[in-house]
Amino acid sequence: MKILIVEDEKELSQSICDYLSNEQFTCEQAFDFQAALEKISLYDYACIVLDITLPNGSGMDILKELKTDNKIDGVLIISAKNSIDDKVTGLKEGADDYLSKPFHLSELAARVEAIIRRKSFDGKNIIQFDTIEVDLNEKTVTVDDSLVELTKKEYELLLYFISNKNKVISKNAIVIHLWGDDMDTADNYDFIYTHIKNLRRKLMKAGADDYIKSVYGMGYKFSLA
Amino acid sequence: MKLFAKYSRINVVATVIIFLIACIAFYFTLHYVLMSQIDQDLKIEQREIETFVREHNRLPENISVKDQLIRYQPIQKNITSRFTTHFIKEHGGDDDGEKFRQLAFSIKVGTQWYQATVSKSLEATENLSRSILIIAFITILVILLVTFLINRIVLKRIWKPFYQSLDTVKDFKVGETAPLQLSPSAIDEFQLMNQTLEKITRQAKLDYLSLKTFSENASHEIQTPLAVIRSKLDLIVQDESLTQKQSEALQAAYNSLQKLTRLNQSLLLLAKIENNQFGTIQSVDLKSMLEEKVADFNELWQTENILLHADLLPAVVRMNKDLAEILINNVLSNATRHNYNRGEISISLTKDFLEVANTSKQPMLNETMLYRRFLKSIHRSDSNGLGLSIIKQICDTSGFSIQYNFDENKHRFVIFFNAAKSYSDESKANQ
Repeated sequence: MKILIVEDEKELSQSICDYLSNEQFTCEQAFDFQAALEKISLYDYACIVLDITLPNGSGMDILKELKTDNKIDGVLIISAKNSIDDKVTGLKEGADDYLSKPFHLSELAARVEAIIRRKSFDGKNIIQFDTIEVDLNEKTVTVDDSLVELTKKEYELLLYFISNKNKVISKNAIVIHLWGDDMDTADNYDFIYTHIKNLRRKLMKAGADDYIKSVYGMGYKFSLA
Repeated sequence: MKLFAKYSRINVVATVIIFLIACIAFYFTLHYVLMSQIDQDLKIEQREIETFVREHNRLPENISVKDQLIRYQPIQKNITSRFTTHFIKEHGGDDDGEKFRQLAFSIKVGTQWYQATVSKSLEATENLSRSILIIAFITILVILLVTFLINRIVLKRIWKPFYQSLDTVKDFKVGETAPLQLSPSAIDEFQLMNQTLEKITRQAKLDYLSLKTFSENASHEIQTPLAVIRSKLDLIVQDESLTQKQSEALQAAYNSLQKLTRLNQSLLLLAKIENNQFGTIQSVDLKSMLEEKVADFNELWQTENILLHADLLPAVVRMNKDLAEILINNVLSNATRHNYNRGEISISLTKDFLEVANTSKQPMLNETMLYRRFLKSIHRSDSNGLGLSIIKQICDTSGFSIQYNFDENKHRFVIFFNAAKSYSDESKANQ
């Protein structure tokens, strides 16, 4: 699957590309308005990561272009403006989600995955990771067909981990994902440990392997043992 | 002292002094003129008598009229003539007598010298001077009174545009979009003042606007480099071969970056609230919103062993929903950040106010300085000093009022949903 990253800040674009590229996704980059228009007219993308403020044009116009071409590409707007108006207009113009800068790459990856999942038409709303199966419609988690009772936060945490499998996620990113950007925790991330601990305990009790690894107190990595 | 009062005080004193001097001078001049007139008359009388004596060689008949007396007295020798002023009793009255001007001179009839005294009553002239003085005095009083009244009425009217302009300028806020509107005046000085005021305020507005735009743009421009740094950190931590030391350094970098990000977002938020970009007002159920937030924060409080007392009654207020969330978030963050391990937080919500109190190592805060931006607390370096500014700004835009007090070693913030109500009303109600 191909993802297009429309972002004029080359370093940011490169970071996103490095993080998202894996055996499942390949990334293409467009650094200005013209290049972006060209690329979307030539190819279909599973998801377009779109910056609103671009040299020589606005990301909004690219959204309009996609709409007139009847393209079904998923679009995630990334904007430095964090303005509600931009968000509303963007979503009205056909964007699927909105993320304001600066964001964590793990957050971006989770959003991109969610968009791609929603856009795929096979109606399959189940994510599989090794023995774990997450039903997104029912919001249930099973390990080897046995149901695991998770709290809302644990469920969200698991989804976040699976979307960022094999990646180190910083505690900071986890807090922002689960509690929002506004919550000022004063560098105290101890309270997320409780949720991680409970999630790990419940999964292992249901028979799953220990997928969650702590990385030097800096963050966590979700991967096959 | 008002300009007018100062001016009229000087004016009145000067006028009174001038009038008094003029009155005195007038009185003496008049007196002198009338006196010489009488002396002239007396001399004429003297000449008449002398002529009579020369022609008839005897003294004239002593004919005294009401205001003129003539007396003759034999004397030994010649005397020089002189004028005097006397009180002479007439008809044996018991009063001091009338004031007379007297001319005494000697006259020779045959060989006998006589002293002739001719006296003229001064009553008429005295009356005249007195009347003139009284008239002058009344005139002064009337002039003073009239001037005072005219000044009061006319000056008040003349100065009206000045005070109007002053009132308008008093209400002037540099952040408001409407330009300063001063009513035109027919008086050149006021017109000049108004023009200058309009020019100055226009300039102030422009400067403020450019400063605001600058800081907004700066904040926006900072977002992208922040995003780059964060994304690079996110990539670096993927490296399997990081040592413990490197990880710690990275975590510190993450934390500082998070602080910088939050600071920048707070500045952007303040600018947005000032720009009224949170226009949509709706009914917000504060109780359920607060319960949700408390549940989030509770996890944080549990790790810090902070004890929570919550007393939440239903409260629905009209405000912007996003701002309500930010407000609650900031109030709770504030109470958490400045707290200590095993501290306390109490929250009470009624339909009129929200009160959040917390224990803290910090002493009582200075209320006048409290809501200033970047007010650094002495004890902690991890707050950006914008939290309370944001709370205050949201209260102002939403028509709430906020009060701070410190008792029982607790910092207490009370937000009244009706700005007109105050803490004193509440304490009265409690008594």
